[in-house]
Amino acid sequence: MFAYIVRRMLHMLLVVFVISLIIFFSIRLTGDPVSVMFSAGEASKEAIEAVRANLGLDKPLPVQYAIFMKGLLTFDFGESFRSGMPVTTLILERAWATLSLALGGIVVAILIAFPVGILSAVKRGSGVDFFGRIFSLIGISFPNFWLGIMLILVFAVYLQWLPASGFDSFQHLILPSVTLGMILSGILARLVRSSMLEVLNQQYISTAKSKGISEWSVIMKHAFRNALLPTVTFLGLQFGSLLGGTVIVEQVFSWPGIGTLIIDAINQRDYPVIQGGVIFLAIIMVVVNLLVDLSYTFIDPRIKTGKEA
Amino acid sequence: MLNGRTVSLLLILILVLAACSGGGGGEQSQGDTQKNESNPVTDRGNEVVIGVTAEPQNWDPIDTFLLDWSTVANSVFEGLMERTLDLELKPGLAESYEYLDDKTLEFKLREGIEFHNGEPFNAEAVKFSFDRLLGEEGQKGPQYSNYTSIDSVEVIDDYTVQFKLNTPDPVLLTKLAGYGAVIVPPGYVQEEGDENFNNNPVGTGPFKMTEYKRDQTIVLEKNDKYWQEGLPKLDKVTFKVIPEASTRLAELQTGKIDIMKRVEVAQADSVKDSGFLELMEVGTPTVYALRFDTSKKPVDDVRVRQAINYAIDKQAILDEIMGGYGTLISTFQSELSFGNNPDLEPYPYDPEKAKQLLKEAGVAEGTALDVYIPGDDGNFKEIAQAVAFYLEEAGLKMNINSVDQTTLISDLIPNANAGHMYRMGWGGWTLDFDNTAYLMYHEGEQWNPSFKDEKVEELLAAERNTVDENEREAIFKELTEVLYELAPEVNLYQAVDLYAVNNRVKNFQPPHEDRMRLEEVTVE
Repeated sequence: MFAYIVRRMLHMLLVVFVISLIIFFSIRLTGDPVSVMFSAGEASKEAIEAVRANLGLDKPLPVQYAIFMKGLLTFDFGESFRSGMPVTTLILERAWATLSLALGGIVVAILIAFPVGILSAVKRGSGVDFFGRIFSLIGISFPNFWLGIMLILVFAVYLQWLPASGFDSFQHLILPSVTLGMILSGILARLVRSSMLEVLNQQYISTAKSKGISEWSVIMKHAFRNALLPTVTFLGLQFGSLLGGTVIVEQVFSWPGIGTLIIDAINQRDYPVIQGGVIFLAIIMVVVNLLVDLSYTFIDPRIKTGKEA
Repeated sequence: MLNGRTVSLLLILILVLAACSGGGGGEQSQGDTQKNESNPVTDRGNEVVIGVTAEPQNWDPIDTFLLDWSTVANSVFEGLMERTLDLELKPGLAESYEYLDDKTLEFKLREGIEFHNGEPFNAEAVKFSFDRLLGEEGQKGPQYSNYTSIDSVEVIDDYTVQFKLNTPDPVLLTKLAGYGAVIVPPGYVQEEGDENFNNNPVGTGPFKMTEYKRDQTIVLEKNDKYWQEGLPKLDKVTFKVIPEASTRLAELQTGKIDIMKRVEVAQADSVKDSGFLELMEVGTPTVYALRFDTSKKPVDDVRVRQAINYAIDKQAILDEIMGGYGTLISTFQSELSFGNNPDLEPYPYDPEKAKQLLKEAGVAEGTALDVYIPGDDGNFKEIAQAVAFYLEEAGLKMNINSVDQTTLISDLIPNANAGHMYRMGWGGWTLDFDNTAYLMYHEGEQWNPSFKDEKVEELLAAERNTVDENEREAIFKELTEVLYELAPEVNLYQAVDLYAVNNRVKNFQPPHEDRMRLEEVTVE
């Protein structure tokens, strides 16, 4: 187990290194941050050159990359061109907002998808199953900005139950979490349903049933636990992408998360923030992957780490 | 499965229809209408909450060019000069000013003014602010280049300063009314350092910033020691950052905010229909054009450029797509700016003349033009499609390329890779044609990949060489006429800003250029 974790850590370093290369050079192909800084104002070519020199952007690319890597080793992502703030501070300021939104989305998705998926599988072919499948399809089909705006219209404007935007209290978390969770729940419910069906057809289920154990006990203890495996993988991977992919939801609900931070930085060509943000997300993604893999051993003892073929 | 899909698609359709009719206000029940009539804001007190689209992330005046900065910071900082909401230029922190000669500008300062932290405002503070702007710190930021005509600032006595210029600068006074030229407290900046100043700005303005949560809220509180008697009238102003327009409107409708910045044209009717909101419209210095890359055939021929100008019915575009919100322009500047020539009429819609000019220029029927527009601007996509339609009528084909705005501005345009025509929007914050004209038509400028003309160069140099208003006005009149004939762009329209304001707010006048003034605002 220990060797496995060490190997995975090295693997993680390699991934981060490759990502740093890609992100560093690719954003430099897409336009110049200094012209962007001036784009709302009026400045001469000389002024633009001077600012570029001051930001160190006139240095050769490999030199710039070396400076960037040197900082990275000490977790110093540099300073934002736009705000002058350390990138690490900017990311940490928002990490909590993004984390709570991603968790909120997953909780909502689980609360909806598990009952729907389980019921659909158990009552296969019935009305419940039909409704469940339609529900998943709707969930998958919704564009989330639209759903977000509709939720605002209904719950904030007409019913006035919940706030439309901001990041102050638990109430503020509800609508964005539901928006994220609804979309996720569609896919998740399908996954729960199909893994449940697969397990329910296995022989040991019939064996368990024939032993006279109550049906719900069989479903929950035997079938559901085994069906959980692909679901956890899926949720783990989703969690990673939720962290970076909540941008639209963040935008609709004025949620100060990392997605918005990176998108704003891309629009401004704020190189240090883009680099720092993407690498931060990459690290989280890799860590979550590791945790997902480790969690397998607890869910399904048949899987032993480090001994895979 | 097919059956299931059909049913669910139907369900979605029903949901969409239901939601749309509710949102559009077409089928509102009596209860909803009544809700709309009564003002939801009842207990806010002497405070106004304003919904804005973004904030600058950095309040240091020398580090930013953003209008979002000025929306808030205009209440915190002041300059030697000020611009009223009606765009009148007058002394601000200075009591008076005088040109001793073309290159020496003397200011008498107001006495007894304090910064929010208690530091005195005096000649030393003015000198410090400009030494900082023109020194090492300022050169890292984009504001520096606006003020390079200032050679030095000299303290004559406690309340007199002289600006020594290295060249006459006709737009210096207007620049001193804001942005990089506002006066900062020397002691505070030196003791607290730049990073703290970025986040906790201190100025002399009517409001002091007491809370700043990046990308969320900015709270301003009344400056009790403000130098203008009886002002400000509000105790508190809160800015909430809400990027999405429909969310901003929802917050306004539910009374969470009192003033909404950037109402979209499509939202104007919902605001007007409400019983407690008022829609306010104000002309801005921002103009939009499709500029030509004059190095490319066939638009290197002035007849072709004129033909394209005649071929497009700009009034129809403005009415149909922009809901009539905007004004036509004859040159690449708004009617608000000094140098605008009111005698010039925008190119009229004359398809016959367009065809004739194209024929004269020998342009073959069906010649294709590449046009680059930013992909994030929905309205402009429609405008581009309308333009394509008009050009087709004239016998030209148009390929519309949608690209990322930042790439367009920072890469494609400067490197002459933005096709035959590209969209350009321009702010013109000095409200003087000088900067716009210089940066758009002077050879070798960042956003002028290819246009050059000797007469234009001559007039640009002449305009910069004098501070005499009448002389400059005459030069601009000639310059606009020359540019009109040369047609380096298809000038489309001057933009209008829409604000929505809760009825409880009184004396709010929307700013032409995003620089809100809130000291006279009161609430009921």
